[in-house]
Amino acid sequence: MKPTANMIPLALVGLVVTAVVGFIVVVLLMSWFSNPPFGLGNAPPQPIAFPHTVHAGSVETGGVGIQCEFCHRNVTKGAAATVPAVETCVFCHKQINPENLVGDTAVNLVEVQRVVDRFADGNPIDWERVYRLPDHVRFIHEAHIRFLTQGEPRMAEIPLGGGGSRQLPMPVGQACSVCHGDVASMTEVQPQAGQSLKMGTCLDCHRQNNVATDCTICHK
Amino acid sequence: MVTNRIDHTWGMVVDLDRCTGCQACVVACQAENNLAINEKSAFLEKRALEWIRIERYWEGEYPNVKARFIPIMCQHCSNAPCEPVCPVFATYRNDGGLNVQVYNRCIGARYCINNCPYQVRFFNFWHPTWPASFENYLNPDVTVRTRGITEKCTFCVQRLRRGELEVERRAGGRLNDQNMAERNYMPACVQACPTNALTFGDHLDPDTKIRPYFDDVHAHDIHHEQERTTRSYLLLEELATAPNVIYLKKVEPYPIGENEHNG
Repeated sequence: MKPTANMIPLALVGLVVTAVVGFIVVVLLMSWFSNPPFGLGNAPPQPIAFPHTVHAGSVETGGVGIQCEFCHRNVTKGAAATVPAVETCVFCHKQINPENLVGDTAVNLVEVQRVVDRFADGNPIDWERVYRLPDHVRFIHEAHIRFLTQGEPRMAEIPLGGGGSRQLPMPVGQACSVCHGDVASMTEVQPQAGQSLKMGTCLDCHRQNNVATDCTICHK
Repeated sequence: MVTNRIDHTWGMVVDLDRCTGCQACVVACQAENNLAINEKSAFLEKRALEWIRIERYWEGEYPNVKARFIPIMCQHCSNAPCEPVCPVFATYRNDGGLNVQVYNRCIGARYCINNCPYQVRFFNFWHPTWPASFENYLNPDVTVRTRGITEKCTFCVQRLRRGELEVERRAGGRLNDQNMAERNYMPACVQACPTNALTFGDHLDPDTKIRPYFDDVHAHDIHHEQERTTRSYLLLEELATAPNVIYLKKVEPYPIGENEHNG
């Protein structure tokens, strides 16, 4: 067929369709391989600036060294780690509030005041979820914490958070950092590289530690 | 690869002489496994989703007639016809002898449904819906299946996982052969049955109540049916699917209506 002027619109349509389909394919591939789903450093902003450095960081680094499971109470007891209620914050912030924090920075005073206000109003804080698993996945924090923190001293292959063998049992705080990174040193919690919490990372760890890999262990 | 694997073969024994057809198992299953409410139209279109159903048939001729019931759920066949036909390996037989359906792997090809001789696999032709007030009653341990995938009885595997977790919690360690027997695992239908017509257990466990029936069926296959010492039989046994659900029924030598002593 000889090219004619009539075919120009057709060619243009072809080009546009190719471009659109290509764009969609590229976006899908990028979102599939982006690591983690939000992308590194793109966790949603929290309603109140909660610095894990101050709360969970060690005393040497300027924190107060609260254990993870003090606020995430359910982490050793059930499936969900749970985000603390405002009451848990007020447990400390009843005393550590703007009336008593004379020498602190203005920013901190504002943020702490917000927590106290929420408690006074009786409103919960709508924390944004950073780590989210799909609906069809059953992840039991308790069982994983138990594997990492209890039992006979042994070496286990932990591929996440640096990789290699580790001496088990380890303290609960360290066990959290296997999947969540060193949260105590994060002002804002962000998923770390290699901790996408996709199925591959789960399976790597399960295989290396002789844990069952049957579909129904994790998929419900 | 997995060295601490503990083998089971979960099985069920259904005593048809005890079944009254009360449908408690059907309701329990619907509630436990987040099955959408089957409306009349779903039954009329033959697209109702019932992981366990009671099939009713009449025995004898009027006036000597009796209603008989057979609860039919997935038979968890050891030689399941549904498994080899799945193009994406979404259904397979796991360590526990369960015929597992992996919902997030299923693409809705429906080959398994067509190949299942018991008709216990169901396809979601629609997105499941509940009245708004019911949505808070959904079981969080079971996925809500979306439109376009196949689903089936799982022997309530979520209860098995919960039982395992409780054993681990008590023992403070991982599951092993010793503490395995401590868990209390039974599917919702077994728990709901008011006449104990359904019995559930692991037929590799020597102490379980279902063991004699499975031993009997394994020792006397279909060609030696007359030699069975218990009342056990398998559904569509001639297809050699090796189901893990055994039905018990006393076969009367003089069927109703043919013998006046039996009337």
